[in-house]
Amino acid sequence: MSKLSTRWIIYAGLAAVVILAYITSIQLDTRPSPQVQKAYNYFENLPESTIIMISFDHEASSLPEIQPITLAILRHAFRRNLRIIGLSLFAEGTAIGYRFMTRVAEEFGKEYGRDYVFLGFKPQHISAILGMGESIIRVFPEDYLGYPADSLPLMRQVYNYNEIEMVISIADGDRGIQWIEYAGAGYNQSIMCGLTAAMVTSYDPYIASGQLYCTVGGLAGAAEYENLFGKKGAGNRGLLAQSMAHIYVIILILIGNVVYFKSRRRRNSGP
Amino acid sequence: MRTRIPLLICLISGVIMFAQYFSRHPVARSIFNNVNEWWQIIFAFTLFVGVMAFAKTSLKKINRSQDSIYQIISLAGLILMPLLAIIGGTKIGSPFLWIFESMIAPMQATVFSLLAFFVASASYRGFRARSVPAAILLVTALIVLIGRIPLSDVLSESLPKLAFWIRDYPSMAARRAILIGIGLGSMTTALRVILGIERTYLRGE
Repeated sequence: MSKLSTRWIIYAGLAAVVILAYITSIQLDTRPSPQVQKAYNYFENLPESTIIMISFDHEASSLPEIQPITLAILRHAFRRNLRIIGLSLFAEGTAIGYRFMTRVAEEFGKEYGRDYVFLGFKPQHISAILGMGESIIRVFPEDYLGYPADSLPLMRQVYNYNEIEMVISIADGDRGIQWIEYAGAGYNQSIMCGLTAAMVTSYDPYIASGQLYCTVGGLAGAAEYENLFGKKGAGNRGLLAQSMAHIYVIILILIGNVVYFKSRRRRNSGP
Repeated sequence: MRTRIPLLICLISGVIMFAQYFSRHPVARSIFNNVNEWWQIIFAFTLFVGVMAFAKTSLKKINRSQDSIYQIISLAGLILMPLLAIIGGTKIGSPFLWIFESMIAPMQATVFSLLAFFVASASYRGFRARSVPAAILLVTALIVLIGRIPLSDVLSESLPKLAFWIRDYPSMAARRAILIGIGLGSMTTALRVILGIERTYLRGE
C-alpha cells in the first residue's frame, strides 16, 4: 500500500471514529479528579456576592475544549450568586468571553453592571496584570461596551486585587502562568485555571508549589465539572469523541510498531 | 557617547524598576504606575507597526501577482473588521461579532482540529520502538494515553494511578528543572542587560 493511501485511510478512520462518537448516545462514567473536585468545592463554599475575576486568555482555535470549561464554571458561579468581573488578555478571547458571560448571565437573570461586568481587552498582558494590582479602574477606565468603569455599581466596590477573591484564567497557553507569576507572586492573588488538555502538565509544578489553587483541564475536566454541577453539556459530548480518538491513536501506534518489527525481521532475514 | 547614553538609561531604569518592587512608598508606586502605562502605550504602537508591516508585505505580493487573491482577502479583513467595530460597535448582534463568531472562530477551530489528523498519522509512522530510549518513551506514552481515558478503569484500576504517578513525579521533575533553568537564565540575562554586558539591543556595539 502506498504511503499516500495509508495516510488517507488513517484520516478517514479518525473522521469515522469521531463522527460515530457524536452520533451515538453513550454516556461515559467519569469520576471527578481531585483538581476538578477542588474547583467545584471552592465555588460551592464561597459566600454569595463574592467577587471573582474571569480572564478569557485564549484564541478561537481552542473553543471546542475551552467552551465547555468556561460555561460550566460560569454557570456554577452565577448559580452561587457570585459577582463576576470578566476581561481578556488575548484579543481573540474578548468577543468570545463577552458572548459567554452574556449568554450565561441571561440564563440566570443576572444584571449587567451589578452582578457582572466585562472590561474587555488590554494589550501587553504583563503590564495589565501588574497594573490591576494597583488599580483596576486605572487599567480599564471603560468597560467593553464603552461605559465608564466607575459608573458601574460592581466596579465601584472594587479597587484592586484586594477585593477579588479568585482570578480564574481560562487559557490555552501560558497566560495563566503569567497570572501566577505577576498577580499571584506580586499581590498574593489566588489563581485558578481552566486549561486545554495539552497545557495541563505545564501548570502542574505551580499546583505542587501551592502557587496555583487548582486547574480544570480539557474536555475530561469539563465533563467532570458538568457532572458535579448536574447539567451535562458539550464536555460530556466531546469526551466520548476524544476518548475514542485516543483509543484509535493507541491502536495506530501498536499497528505501526507491528509493521515496523515485521519489516525489520524481513530485512534481517533477507539475502 | 552613542552607546554610553542608552547604556546609562538602561542601567538607571533597570535599577529603579528593580528597587521599586520592594517598596510600597507612594513615590515608588507612582513610578511603577507611570512606567506601566508607558509600557502599554509603547505596546499599542508596536501593534500599529505590525499592521503596517503586514499591509506592506501583502501589497508587495499583490504587485508581484503572488497569491494575490489570498492577500486581497487578508487586507480586506484587516480593513473591514476595525471599520465594522467603529461603525456598528462590538455588542451582541453587531456585524463585527457576527463575522467573528460565524467566520473567524469556526475557521480557526477547523485549522486547529486538523492537527488531530496529523497526530494520528504521525503516531502510526513516527512512534516506533527503534531503540531502548524510544521504547521507554513509547511505553510511557501508552500508559499515559490509556490512563487518561475514562474507560481505563475497566481495563485496570492501577492504570490511571500509574498515569498520574508519571505526571506527578518524573514529568514534574523534568518540568521543574526546565522552569528553574529558564528562571536562572532570565535573571542572568536581565542582569547582563542592566549592567551593560549584553548589548545586542545596541546592535552589539
